[in-house]
Amino acid sequence: MAEPRLLDLMFSRIMRGLVESGRAPHYAELAPGLGLTVEDSRRLLGELMQAYPIGWLHPETDYVASFPPLNNLPTQYRITVRGEQKWFAQCGFEATSVTWLFPETTVRIEAPCLDCGDPVRVDMRDGRLITVDPPSIVGHLNYGFGPSRGRPSYL
Amino acid sequence: MNLFRSEEHARRWSQFNPASEEGFIALPDLADFFGTETRQHMLDANYLSVWYPRRAAERRAVLERIGKTSPFWLGTPAPA
Repeated sequence: MAEPRLLDLMFSRIMRGLVESGRAPHYAELAPGLGLTVEDSRRLLGELMQAYPIGWLHPETDYVASFPPLNNLPTQYRITVRGEQKWFAQCGFEATSVTWLFPETTVRIEAPCLDCGDPVRVDMRDGRLITVDPPSIVGHLNYGFGPSRGRPSYL
Repeated sequence: MNLFRSEEHARRWSQFNPASEEGFIALPDLADFFGTETRQHMLDANYLSVWYPRRAAERRAVLERIGKTSPFWLGTPAPA
């Protein structure tokens, strides 16, 4: 098992990389900054994702697919900050947490409604709801939490 | 774990699970649920080792406060 300090460092580099660029850095890019060989960085990524199981790698690869609250793989939950749309949230619930990655900044969540395709728009700032359009927007959990749900956690 | 324009829209969704009637959550409650203290430290250098382990207890406390105490929300097995 890797040192907690190294896991923290890789976690922080990935999260900050996502925030800064909209994409998760590859383990090979992270290796020099972590003082690791590329292969050791790949192994560390595997351990990191076990320690942070609410995210996941794309199946059969070492590519970060999801690193909540953001997603490296595009979803319908588009995130716009300072007029720039280059982020995606893991799901509609995690989308409401993205505000904490951009302090003192308005974060816009936009998504098409899965029923009708019409827009759902929420603006948040430091955790506060600023705009909710339409005002009737609700969150919905289609399968209960926990291991017995038998469905991917993001559904 | 989606956002819909309204409950009616969610119920009309082609993949709506009929067993998920209790799965609705008001947006302010959702913002509380995903805005707990640990969430405010996701950029901290020690988030994974210090803050992430506290997340489960914190989530449970919010769910209890907003009245979502069924196995569906708490992730506990349903009674046999």
